[in-house]
Amino acid sequence: MSSDTVVVIGAGPAGLEAARGVAELGTNVVLVEKRDFLGGTPIAENYAALTPNYESAEEAMGKMIDRVQSNSLVKVLTSTTVTSCEGEAGDFHLAVTGPDGQNTIDAGAVIVATGFRHFDPGRETQMYGYYEHPDVVTLPDLEAMLKSGEVLRPSNGEVPQNICFVQCVGSRDRHIGNEYCSKVCCGIASKEAIELRRHIPDSKVFIFYIDMRMYGYWESQIYWPAQEQYNVQYVKGIITEVLKKGDKLLVRGEDTTMGRPMEVLMDMVVLSVGMEPSVGTREMAKVFGVKSNKYGFIESANPPLDTVSTSRSGIFACGSAMGPADLEDTVSSAGAAAMKSVAMLKARPSVTA
Amino acid sequence: MPIGGKKQLPIAIEKENAVVQSTISGRDWELPGMWNRMFEQRVIREFSPEAIEKVASLDGAESLSWCYGCGKCVPVCPVDIVGEYGPRKIFRKVQTGMDLFESSDLWLCTTCMNCLRVCPKEVDMVQIMPAAREVAVSNGNVPNELQDVFEKTFRYGNALGENPRRRSAWTKDAGVPVRILSKDPSPVDVLFYVEDYWSYHPRGKQAAQAFARIMTSLGIDWAILGPEEKTIGDSQRLAGEKGLFEALMDDVVATLDKYEFSRIVTPDPHGFNALAKEYPKRGHTFDAYHYTQLLAPLVDKIEWKKELDYTVTFHDPCYLGRHNGEYDAPRKLIEAIPGLRFTEMERCRENGYCCGGGGGGMWLDGFTANHTTQRLSERRVIEAAQTGSDVLAVCCPYEVSRFEDAAKSTGNEQLKIKDIVELIDEAMGYTAE
Repeated sequence: MSSDTVVVIGAGPAGLEAARGVAELGTNVVLVEKRDFLGGTPIAENYAALTPNYESAEEAMGKMIDRVQSNSLVKVLTSTTVTSCEGEAGDFHLAVTGPDGQNTIDAGAVIVATGFRHFDPGRETQMYGYYEHPDVVTLPDLEAMLKSGEVLRPSNGEVPQNICFVQCVGSRDRHIGNEYCSKVCCGIASKEAIELRRHIPDSKVFIFYIDMRMYGYWESQIYWPAQEQYNVQYVKGIITEVLKKGDKLLVRGEDTTMGRPMEVLMDMVVLSVGMEPSVGTREMAKVFGVKSNKYGFIESANPPLDTVSTSRSGIFACGSAMGPADLEDTVSSAGAAAMKSVAMLKARPSVTA
Repeated sequence: MPIGGKKQLPIAIEKENAVVQSTISGRDWELPGMWNRMFEQRVIREFSPEAIEKVASLDGAESLSWCYGCGKCVPVCPVDIVGEYGPRKIFRKVQTGMDLFESSDLWLCTTCMNCLRVCPKEVDMVQIMPAAREVAVSNGNVPNELQDVFEKTFRYGNALGENPRRRSAWTKDAGVPVRILSKDPSPVDVLFYVEDYWSYHPRGKQAAQAFARIMTSLGIDWAILGPEEKTIGDSQRLAGEKGLFEALMDDVVATLDKYEFSRIVTPDPHGFNALAKEYPKRGHTFDAYHYTQLLAPLVDKIEWKKELDYTVTFHDPCYLGRHNGEYDAPRKLIEAIPGLRFTEMERCRENGYCCGGGGGGMWLDGFTANHTTQRLSERRVIEAAQTGSDVLAVCCPYEVSRFEDAAKSTGNEQLKIKDIVELIDEAMGYTAE
């Protein structure tokens, strides 16, 4: 007995796009989401404007959600988690726990789209003092401030004048264990820097970096305008520590170009935190018995040309469950997972045959 | 500060008089020797976008703020190789609060354009420097030797401070008749705009005389302005005196308007650059040639009398090559000379190394020497000597004197510096007494 349904796990940008893709190819979808709402991290983490086009995250995710909810082939289960998976490709049986208790879903194929979580800067071994200094915040913290329309120093409610971003927090770090580059933080920081300069026109905004990694068009879409039109000051040299000095923050590091130490006073420090596998991604890797890499992201079975097949036949993954990815990469791989899962089901005898 | 990859000790600032008040007796004490030695702050504490914005807000200087620090300019900047200076460093120093208008760095750029050639962000020092220098000039903050040249140019119409009436003194020994338009204003084909160094410098005059003989032997109908000629002053413009340049342009254009000629030729790539690029922007268009461009198409008509048994290398003038894209005309002339063996230096054509004379560098030798380990002309002469050449051929009036001095100071007297017209003149049978 085989199933012609595809189960998609996770209703963020990747899961929504995969579910839509499968349904539009004429196949039944069950979309399983642990949270009690759809939209994933962009909604959960209060993203304001998406990179690189400043589209409202709420509107953009709203459109994705509408397309899924309006398709009669998609069944959406929120507040639901997958607890086990038995069977084989074409004939999986998934145990789920949800508002209605325990249930079993039959699935021909599964797409894991459980995404990432932001690196917790409390875990960093460097001295950025995220939990000590209220004015040290992260990219998503600032994103939430931008969304609220008010960027104020958490310590005293004043408008910050000197603001800096510190790149590569939680990424490219053997000590922390995240040796990879998180790909998106240079672009997000630059986007937020532009928004800060628009929001507080007399502010001075700095980005301290090891290398700027602005892939493809982000270079000309974000990095160059930030520097050339918004006077964001890019400084080659990473910050080693953040100290409190009076009511300001003293950031200390190396000015790489000058080969000299530097220390500059800031009103607010934004840590450009990277990506780590979400709790759901780690759990689903275990539930489905698919291979993850040493960082906990699900591994592609046949890289680099097959980006969505996992070590277990019939189980696919996409988006940032497989490693750091921007939105463009995320929805692209979601489309590929939809196509591959449907193609696999069609190659097998259908239930009614 | 790092120089050549090595950290240097902080710069000591000596104070002539340091007086402190004794905390015991209340008396003033003069502190001699090491006690009044202070050190420049090593930790960088200032990151001030205002300093960048101050420069970038100037017309033409916007691109300074575009630098993203890739460092491609470093190995091609002629000054960076001999000193703690370079386009990227300028950006960085200004980003850390350096006031460019007060800094010695403002005067080291020769506007050779090699950084712009390789810059992915098109940070344009050829425009940034004149714009920033104009501010320094209006603040009265100009190195003395350059100020002296500005004043001479203003007063006499030439950078050397020579008597304008002696503009045509070189023609006496040219060996061919030279028509001066103020005496014979009939229409002429080629107006020979001699410029300062060929009019007045002893070695330049020899080149002017050679060029006069070559043009006459080729049957070219030519004439000069003589005492009415004033410098075009493009290097003064790049050194920050745009006002002076524009005043000179009014005079030059008024003089040129008096006469009928179809083409204008000059040996000076800087003057040529202004005629080709700056004059048209201000509404004055002439059919302008560098002398190599006038002669190159006529090379087959030259009657050679003699083979020259020289190995010759050639230095591209920045303002003929990189600025105006002319690399072939001088080479065509050199390679046509019978008997001569031509060899290129490593850095040639688009990547030619600057002689140090452009952008006002010609008149900042003393100032630049205080901030560099070697003159650019010396570095260039060493490179020319390493090719094993007998002759370093040039076609910019600044270069003969610069390179002859450099050949002496670097112990390369065997290397003769000759203008291309001198080589042609010699191969056409002319021998100096």
